Amino acid sequence: MLGFLKKKLKQNDRKDKVVVIGIDGVPCSLLNRFIEKGLMPNLADLAKKGTLTDMSASIPEVSSTSWTTFMTGVNPGRHGIYGFMELQKGSYRWRFPNSTDIKSDTLWDIAGRNNRKSIVINVPSTYPAKPVNGILTAGFVALDLKKATYPDSAYEYLNSIGYRMDVDTRKAQESAEALARDIEETFVIRKNAILHFLDNHEWDLFVGVITETDRLHHYLWAALQDENHPQHNFFLDFYRKLDSFIGEAYERAGDEIPFIILSDHGSTAIKQEIYLNSWLRENGYLKFKKDNPQSLEDMHEESRVFALDPSRFYIHLKGKYPRGSVGPGEYDGLREKLREGLLSLEAGGEKVIKSVLFKEELYSGALRDEAPDIVVLSYEGYDLKGSINKTQVAGKGFLTGGHTREDAVFYINRKVTAKDINIVDVGPTIMSLLKIGGNSFDGKSLSL
Amino acid sequence: MEQNESESLMALSLEDKIVQSKKVVKEAIEKFGTEKLAVAWTGGKDSTTMTWLFRETCRELSVPMPKLMFIDEGYVFEEIWDIVNQLKKEWNLDVIIAKNTDVSDKAKNVGDMVKVSSLNERNRSEIAKLGFDGDEFPFEPESYVGNHLMKTVAMNTFLEDHKIEALATAIRWDEQTARVAETYFSPRTTPPHTRVQPILHFKERDIWDFIFKYKVPFCVLYNEGYRSLGAKGSTVKLSDIPAWEQDLENTTERAGRGQGKEEIMGKLRDLGYM
Repeated sequence: MLGFLKKKLKQNDRKDKVVVIGIDGVPCSLLNRFIEKGLMPNLADLAKKGTLTDMSASIPEVSSTSWTTFMTGVNPGRHGIYGFMELQKGSYRWRFPNSTDIKSDTLWDIAGRNNRKSIVINVPSTYPAKPVNGILTAGFVALDLKKATYPDSAYEYLNSIGYRMDVDTRKAQESAEALARDIEETFVIRKNAILHFLDNHEWDLFVGVITETDRLHHYLWAALQDENHPQHNFFLDFYRKLDSFIGEAYERAGDEIPFIILSDHGSTAIKQEIYLNSWLRENGYLKFKKDNPQSLEDMHEESRVFALDPSRFYIHLKGKYPRGSVGPGEYDGLREKLREGLLSLEAGGEKVIKSVLFKEELYSGALRDEAPDIVVLSYEGYDLKGSINKTQVAGKGFLTGGHTREDAVFYINRKVTAKDINIVDVGPTIMSLLKIGGNSFDGKSLSL
Repeated sequence: MEQNESESLMALSLEDKIVQSKKVVKEAIEKFGTEKLAVAWTGGKDSTTMTWLFRETCRELSVPMPKLMFIDEGYVFEEIWDIVNQLKKEWNLDVIIAKNTDVSDKAKNVGDMVKVSSLNERNRSEIAKLGFDGDEFPFEPESYVGNHLMKTVAMNTFLEDHKIEALATAIRWDEQTARVAETYFSPRTTPPHTRVQPILHFKERDIWDFIFKYKVPFCVLYNEGYRSLGAKGSTVKLSDIPAWEQDLENTTERAGRGQGKEEIMGKLRDLGYM
């Protein structure tokens, strides 16, 4: 079977194909640790053949922003995705950006225009599926498999195998064991779907993302850290299985075809969750009309600043927001004051915020006006939150793993000399490997 | 169950489907007896259909009808209460309301914050089991902690208090792709019990055909366009025409169950956002 498939691949073998395997939320440091422990022999072999290195994620380091930066090769100031939620223009009501809000071409849009086929499986923020020259089934936050998948024939296939768009994290309420089982089952079905499309359909660009890693980290990071945790071995076994999958995918592609592995951010143990809106309230920047606010619709008109997940601050400007209170002349001074205050924010005697960045330092392009006015980066372990209804600045939630920005991972089965790789560089690199030129990316193609 | 086996069961005629369901119900009664078996009833079309099938089978076997468990998660539609009370009387049902009052007593309205320290030991240990060590949580149908306490814990407490060994639920294969792998009898661990799922092979269309053929009363919300009923506040209707007149085959039944915003918010909350 495998021999036949290899032959089949060989027949239309063109070196300018690319395989990308995404592993959501996987930190480079963890892979190095598992390689050292002998847990990931396939990846260890691959590391010898090519380059396994850490990579910086987007800012903020959330899946929607980071994967969109990957799939467009441009910064959020051009693609427009700054997080999982925004406010509707002229109101304080939630809006949840989806694939139709991405304002730049994706790698598969560009490949399609160049008569190249793409298969795109489970990339976050691609819901609802847009037509593509090839196949696409969307990842998080996908709601309906039919709307998530293009074309219908791919939907029929996925439906027939009982494909799951995501882990049912509510299983955690039954037990950690039930959640672990669901993570495992979802991974198996995802892996089978990815290998099926890799084997049986034509592609020039193949992108398959595993998101079970991220769910595992959020819910069971404590199990990794504690050898006596009932799910400790499950965590390690999951990585063994991930390694086998990487091995299987690589075997199908072969050494000739560029093979990339990447994550959209790293993960680490949460020391404390930090509720930025509570900090703003305590410091007099934010006020609600009710004791128990449900959303930003309950915000008082005297409010000067508010925060959205995970680390975005917005100045409540007159003209921009219906009840805005900050005049243009106050904008710069207010941001400076916030910078100073945030840098001194402490939890349990430790500093929380590593850097405070203004929008013009971070973003460029036509959509910069929509960007947060300030984004902050935290020290490792401080999980920043935009929750509205918390009464304290620091606390704990039900997740044990949070995100890191600098410890994402990049791998390619080629030698790369570049240091300081950023996720925005991956798209341009893929396009030069596909030999498709004439694009205006923000990232740099890595020289291989 | 094999994929093609479930496909062929789903292709049966309505009468054959009823026969198949009764077979499962009969097997469950023989295995667990009517005392240790309970029927999960939501007042919705599916679990009402299942309840009807249980009544018929019990009559045929001349055994008493098992008790029914109705979970009151604190945000039940008034129209659901209406049908529950109506059928309780008409069908002479032994309905037990499973409600986590220790939690609901602490909240006047949906959205109120509940202090963890104000709860009893059981609820506190359940919260700890979730890994949540915050001081308070919102009393909301789709919030992570609230959902667990008001639904899962309420149900588990019912199962424990009544020493229930098997719980019948009305899930169907065609509802969601994630349900394709479900079987008629499925063991659960916390607490240990068996799920009996006698109407897996019914399609949404079969449910309506059945309801009209056997004149089974149903909740008025379906007349108004609701296709699938969940908690009030997280269920919307996507059409104003009665459920059974909608394009059942080509549109999604659960689309109104928190589709769009509510469902996205739920998913984001489960990953620690919002």
